[in-house]
Amino acid sequence: MRRFILRRLLVTIPMTFVVVSLTWGLIRLAPGNFYSGDKPLTAAVVKNLREKYGLDRPWYVQYGRMLGNTVRGDFGTSLKYTGQSVNAILASALPVSATVGALAYALALAVGIPVGVMAAFRQNSTLDYVSMAAAMVGISVPNFVLGPLLVLVFSLTWFWLPPARWEGFSVHLILPVVTLSGLYMAYIARLTRAGMLEVLRSNYVRTARAKGLSDREVLWRHALRGGLLPVVSFSGPALAFLITGTVVVERIFALPGLGNYFINANLNRDEPLIIGIVAFMSISILVFNLAVDVAYGVIDPRVRY
Amino acid sequence: MASSTRACGTDVIDAVPPASAEPPVAGTSLWKDARRRLLRNRLAVTGLVIVAVVLVASLVGPGIIHATTGFTYDFIPSDRALIRAMPPFTGPDGSWSFRHPMGTDTAGRDILVRVLIGGRISLMVGVISTLVSLIIGIAYGAAAGYAGGRIDEIMMRIVDVLYAIPYMMVVIVLLAFFGGRTPLGQLVLLFVALGAVSWLDMARIVRGQVLSLKTQEFVLAARAVGASPVAIVVRHLVPNTLGPVVVYATLTVPTVMLLEAFLSFLGLGVQAPLASWGSLAADGIQSLAIFPWQLIGPGATMAITLFSLNFVGDGLRVALDPQMRRG
Repeated sequence: MRRFILRRLLVTIPMTFVVVSLTWGLIRLAPGNFYSGDKPLTAAVVKNLREKYGLDRPWYVQYGRMLGNTVRGDFGTSLKYTGQSVNAILASALPVSATVGALAYALALAVGIPVGVMAAFRQNSTLDYVSMAAAMVGISVPNFVLGPLLVLVFSLTWFWLPPARWEGFSVHLILPVVTLSGLYMAYIARLTRAGMLEVLRSNYVRTARAKGLSDREVLWRHALRGGLLPVVSFSGPALAFLITGTVVVERIFALPGLGNYFINANLNRDEPLIIGIVAFMSISILVFNLAVDVAYGVIDPRVRY
Repeated sequence: MASSTRACGTDVIDAVPPASAEPPVAGTSLWKDARRRLLRNRLAVTGLVIVAVVLVASLVGPGIIHATTGFTYDFIPSDRALIRAMPPFTGPDGSWSFRHPMGTDTAGRDILVRVLIGGRISLMVGVISTLVSLIIGIAYGAAAGYAGGRIDEIMMRIVDVLYAIPYMMVVIVLLAFFGGRTPLGQLVLLFVALGAVSWLDMARIVRGQVLSLKTQEFVLAARAVGASPVAIVVRHLVPNTLGPVVVYATLTVPTVMLLEAFLSFLGLGVQAPLASWGSLAADGIQSLAIFPWQLIGPGATMAITLFSLNFVGDGLRVALDPQMRRG
């Protein structure tokens, strides 16, 4: 087990290297740069700026410096947000994204799992059909449609909830969290139902039933553990994605999270910030996937490392 | 799709000896069986009909509207009263008419035409990107599965590695830095980027299928009569993987369309004056409080289409899944 974790952590290093290099290469191959914006700068200003940020050096020097920065975990200063280090931006944006993402996923689990379990236990009942149709709606309505509609109803028509902005842990979070969790709720309900259906047909559940256990006991003692495995493996990438910022929801609700910064960095061609966010993102995806694989082994005794 | 591939996909999966494949009693083939069960699934059929209606409307609708009312996707009326007409009944002077079933946008353009034209683009992105992912995924998966052993292991390890890349990030960087030159170039970039992102699952599915198929007698027979490896893969193995591939491809279309909509929403996808459902929704959000129909028209159209596509995919999966067969 420890060797497995260690090996997987070691894989993170070349992976991050590949992702960061790919991103850097894309940025460098593209025509234009940070200074070719709307406002033309004088040649002298451009020259000074290029010297300041080391952009006048040959590409391999810049590439090497970028890699060195990444290894040290210090991504330099943002080109756009003058004077702010990329690390400071990451540190300010991550709590926003992580709060919204974690709450949204918790909500999705809290609703999705019970719905999926009930649908599986009452397969082909009205409840099953209705909840699965609802889940299909959740998958099909894009969150950039769902979010503004919720704002329209709850903020602009009934004036119940604030429509946007980051105010820390407050009612401002309700609409973005609900918007974000919709899709995941639907996925989790479907995954839970599928997983439970398979487990409910399995021999060990039949044995448990044959012993005379009630539905509830079968569920809690036997079925849930196996039936939730698909949800567990879905959770790794999903959580990594949610916590490190979801571009669309953060844009709709004007949240200063990682996703929002990432889009702005791209539009501004703010190279250090892009590299910083991409590196951070790929490391967290790998770590979350690892966590899921470990959890898998704990839950399912059939899994061996 | 089913009817064109039926001939090559049937006999082996059902394990009917080829010699007795054409008995006087019509044997039920996988695809015939699947079609029958798909048609019995009311939700899937409804979905199929809705998708067909949206497709046909997108293709011929703009022409009809242009012929009858003169609206096109970039027609801006000089008549100020037309601007921001509310759907569905408002005529130029506020009277009741069906001039703008979805209303008009902030420039006074008819939203219905824009939604239909946007539908062309959204559907095209969905289909072409899925085809791109199909081609890459089938070629890669079939090659890995047929080669087997060390090559297979390396190729699948590469897929594992690619899985861990934050794709949306790379696509966003790609589109932000290389896009925006010409509307057409942007579209091609979208096709390639989205297709390149979504082939991994396809490769895994095809590889798994090929791995289990290649040990069967019909492959041995093909090899015995001197078929080359390429011929065996292309003529014998790939056609037999079509069941799961069709199901997965059907479910890839709405996924890709959703991705395209996200990108267009962020201003990185389809460029003006062209529009897709995503970019139309993004435009609509700007004036949400005052003109909500500008979001509702494209948003609802998109949601209904994706909903239908998902139901078709789900129906196909149930219809083609041998485990679901009873009797």
